[in-house]
Amino acid sequence: MLRYIVRRLIGIPFLLLGVASVAFLLSQTTKGDPLAALVPERMMSNTEVVNAVKAEWGLDRSLPVRYFIYIGNLLQGDLGTSFATRRPVATDIAERLPATLELVISAMIIGTVMGFSLGLLSARFRNTVTDGSARMFALVGSSLPIFWSGLILLYLLSVRFPIVPGTGRLPPRTTPPPEVTGFYTIDSLLAGNIPLFLEVLSHLALPAFVLGWAVTGIITRLVRSSLIEGLSQDYARTARAKGAPERVVLIHHVLRNALIPVLTVLGFTFAYLITGAVLTESIFSWPGIGSYTVRAAASLDYPAIGGVTIVGSVAFLMANLITDIAYAWANPRIKVH
Amino acid sequence: MTINIRRLGVRPLAALLLAGSVLSAPLPAAAEDSDTLVIGRSMDVNSLDPARAFCDTCQFYLTAVYETLITLGEDNKSLVPNLAESWEVNDDFTEFTFHLKDAAFADGSPVEASDVVWTFERLKNLKGSPSFLMDGLVSAEAVDPRTIKITVEAPNSEFLNKVSAPYTGIVNAEVAKAAGAIGDETAAEADKAESWFMENSAGSGPFALAGYSPEAELRLARNDAYWGEAPAFSEIVVTQIQDAVSQAQALETGQVDIAMQIDPDTAKSIRSPDVVTEVVPSFNFVYIGFIPGAKGMADVLTPDVREALALAVDYDGMLDFTVGGNGKKQAAPIPNGFPGTAGLTPRSQDIEKAKEMLAAAGASDLKLVAGYPNDNVYGVDFNIMMQKLQQDFKAVGVELELKPLTWAVWREELGTGEWPITAVYYAPDYFGSGQYAAYFAMVDGYPWTKRASVGKPELVVNAAETGIYAKALASSGEAADAAYAELADEMMKDTIILPLVSPDLVLAHRSDIEGVRYSACCNLPLAEIKRK
Repeated sequence: MLRYIVRRLIGIPFLLLGVASVAFLLSQTTKGDPLAALVPERMMSNTEVVNAVKAEWGLDRSLPVRYFIYIGNLLQGDLGTSFATRRPVATDIAERLPATLELVISAMIIGTVMGFSLGLLSARFRNTVTDGSARMFALVGSSLPIFWSGLILLYLLSVRFPIVPGTGRLPPRTTPPPEVTGFYTIDSLLAGNIPLFLEVLSHLALPAFVLGWAVTGIITRLVRSSLIEGLSQDYARTARAKGAPERVVLIHHVLRNALIPVLTVLGFTFAYLITGAVLTESIFSWPGIGSYTVRAAASLDYPAIGGVTIVGSVAFLMANLITDIAYAWANPRIKVH
Repeated sequence: MTINIRRLGVRPLAALLLAGSVLSAPLPAAAEDSDTLVIGRSMDVNSLDPARAFCDTCQFYLTAVYETLITLGEDNKSLVPNLAESWEVNDDFTEFTFHLKDAAFADGSPVEASDVVWTFERLKNLKGSPSFLMDGLVSAEAVDPRTIKITVEAPNSEFLNKVSAPYTGIVNAEVAKAAGAIGDETAAEADKAESWFMENSAGSGPFALAGYSPEAELRLARNDAYWGEAPAFSEIVVTQIQDAVSQAQALETGQVDIAMQIDPDTAKSIRSPDVVTEVVPSFNFVYIGFIPGAKGMADVLTPDVREALALAVDYDGMLDFTVGGNGKKQAAPIPNGFPGTAGLTPRSQDIEKAKEMLAAAGASDLKLVAGYPNDNVYGVDFNIMMQKLQQDFKAVGVELELKPLTWAVWREELGTGEWPITAVYYAPDYFGSGQYAAYFAMVDGYPWTKRASVGKPELVVNAAETGIYAKALASSGEAADAAYAELADEMMKDTIILPLVSPDLVLAHRSDIEGVRYSACCNLPLAEIKRK
């Protein structure tokens, strides 16, 4: 197992180099004015301004020269400077990634817990009102576009019936916790500030629910079908024949076997949540990597596009690795090689 | 059927609800007694360096942090003293002498003539986006520590207006130089101070930069060493809220004190009695531009055909369609209320005449393409606006294909003549009509001449405009107004730029906030805002 993990980890830098090269070449050859993020629209006909900007940012050099400079810098850990924010891309990402991860991980937890719970209920009470209600709730979450459910819930729960606070990670008047991890939940706890922790949670609750609800459907359906299939297997029948109650059969015998397809989906779910976070971040004014990525792509901010591509690739590669390891944990018959 | 509530897992559900109620406990802190002003806005910051910045957010940030020599009065017309307590202009508008007040920068050092000279030279030499404000600058000289003499190469009666633009805010030269800023001719290549300006400030304004997190938050702190009247708030936070609906919600819940980009339609949906909204005319406008130099259009998009297309537009309907009537029609590419616009009559629709002109030009079955940014600017959705234009053109037999594009693609295609019609917008940098002449007049080498002609200036150049513009710059008062009126008339005859809507602006704030106003130069003067 350890050798397998080490081998996978060693391959990651080479994969990242390939990803960075493809991202660089694609963004450079994409149709669009490369100065979109650097020269305002009104100044784009001003030759003096345009030439000065091109020289300052190295855009007057040939594509191969720019590529080798970019890769050279990358190998030294320099992701470049964002055209739009005028700050190192690494700084931008380091500042924003914890916000996105905190949101996505919370959404993942909410989506998984709700998906598993509803799937269990549906399987246990198949073809009853409980089953129908659970599946309907999950289906609605998966079907509603995030921008719609986000805006409606924000309006209902924040404006009409003020149960949750408004947008952002914290109210603008509140001072964030001293930065240790960048996760406000953890940092506020580390600071021993429980009121701040509750405030952070209250801001996190709605966006995480909206995002998590969107993946509840697929998890519910998968858990339900896997459990129903498991419940009809010989080993479940044997357990019942030995006098085990239905709850014990479900939880102790069938559930672990049903985990395997679910784990596969959880890996993909993580990817979906990262993508879905773009809209959620926009609606909830969440200062994460999603809105940064959209802005970078729309304005052809090459260094930022490259930076988030690399970080995204790392996230996906790690998610795949963790999924593979979890497979082996969930089913001893599967060995990693 | 009986339902076993224990089986349904009601206990965990109750626990979940309890947890939810705990999470929901901390609601936004009441703003009524807060010393912090919170503004919701979708920020468009391109830089916080005065010599590089060029954006709506930059206008009010720079106004709060870097003071100009002159500023615009509350009537949005008069120039009033700021750092300069007085000034003189020679008869031919080529020499400007400013006398400084006894003012100090945030670090306590005095604002001196040398700072003004260095700031203007850097603004010119850096070749940044606002460098055009120093076009024609021959010399800036410190006559004594409190007196500056500026010389420009040609008469420019609008120079005083230009130095009221926030981008000309005076920078503490010593502090900026220590951070790598350079003012001489090598500035474009050698100046490396932008990253410093993104985290620090060096102005004499009522506020100083306290922190900036791109697309998240801009934080200003009161400048305790401010030489003038201290601002009411100790801190201002501009928080990123992307769209109008979310800004309105944040305003209703008290999360923000001011929402800057609420459109009139969204304003109508606000029900909270604690929110005040006021609709005021703006100096912004959205326009379509004809590009006769586009591929295959040289003999098609002639002046007569352009005039016919201008007659086809239902301008009143356009106002209703795009901004629900919350806007004004605008005759020429100079905003209503600016010099030279007083007597102008906006265009009106005449379908029969348009058809006759098109028939006479042999263009009855014309097919055109409009490439435009797929955006919503100042509450005007470009897609909706162009769909209305499509309908109007159809009424005179002209087929208009719509091509919404990202800004990056639009910019690339604009210079290549891919399509003969486009749509853009303009917001003023200062109060003065010269900026519109320098941008929209069909004078060889001017920005819109390049865009409309795509390398064939003979298609669009209007020889009369060069002389009229020079006449306007060499005069002031009523004579300048008359010259700009003449220029506006010529620009209307060009029929290259067709202003469609000047959208109204919504000033939306909590009812305990006062002093919120719209400024033609500075957007939102933050230092004037108070809590009742």
